[in-house]
Amino acid sequence: MSGIGDGDGGIRHGAVLVRLVDAIWGGGPGELDAAREAVIEAAGADVLVDAVAVSANFHMMTRVADGTGTPLDPGTDEMSAPWRAELGVDGFASRRHVPAN
Amino acid sequence: MATYATELPLRPELDASHAEAMAHFASPGTWWTGAERLTMVAEVRRARAAEPLPAWRAPSDVDGLVADDHLLPPAAVDAVWRLTNHPGTLTADWHRSILDRGIGPLAYVELVSVVAQANCVDRFADALELERMSLPEPVEGEPTRLVPEAAEVRLHWVPTDDIGGPNVYLALSAVPAELVARSALSTPHYLEGQAVFGDVVSDRFSLQRVQIELVAGRTSKLNECFY
Repeated sequence: MSGIGDGDGGIRHGAVLVRLVDAIWGGGPGELDAAREAVIEAAGADVLVDAVAVSANFHMMTRVADGTGTPLDPGTDEMSAPWRAELGVDGFASRRHVPAN
Repeated sequence: MATYATELPLRPELDASHAEAMAHFASPGTWWTGAERLTMVAEVRRARAAEPLPAWRAPSDVDGLVADDHLLPPAAVDAVWRLTNHPGTLTADWHRSILDRGIGPLAYVELVSVVAQANCVDRFADALELERMSLPEPVEGEPTRLVPEAAEVRLHWVPTDDIGGPNVYLALSAVPAELVARSALSTPHYLEGQAVFGDVVSDRFSLQRVQIELVAGRTSKLNECFY
């Protein structure tokens, strides 16, 4: 998720899925073509469509969350604390927590 | 009739959800007319196609970028562009500045919803090299201006309704029609609402749940979304 390291990260077709997401985000036309082909070759066209759908959904949900100042739910906040720093997300401007009582 | 002409195996409900979203954009909303909502979608497209501006540079401050007779107030255009191109840079002060320029708090919520959904629909089409849907004619009519009785600012910058659920689910709840539309668009792309936190193991469509969360997490990180 953080882009550190090679391989599939223990997730089936993980590398080609990450390549696809990155190409959707900022790859040129050639890279997006290549990323799509790589997913089709490795996993099939249905996986390509469904992965693009999930990514598109999160281009939506990130804007909903960050456009409305949505704070992290307390349960998720606590659970994610140990690995947020490793992922490099604690420094995001969008970091928001539910205020402690 | 299919929304997209393609040989790719688009699930019918996924294909249909985009047509439904476009019809929703074109209809009078709760705080904006159909024409204004479609103009927001057009501005999402213009923002993505434009030469990149720094996050702090509003398009209305750039000579010639926003027409004097634009259908939307300049603050709304600025919000559409910032939400589209720099979602990870938004702050409470920025949100306050948009309201201070005359956008109502619930009109702002609706704007966020339309912009977010338009980003979903277009980015899906672009990623698969499908022809983007053309903007339809707006449906005439006035916004409903319905306000949930319990809407107030709680944990978010924006007012939310008192309906319970994860914070991201509540984000659009003070404009119920947008919560419904956003959920309807989300379900065929990702998961049923109840499954997001309640079922973390079941596969969905052609993807294993762990693959879904890899794509979701990577996309969220690229957008610098802490949530």
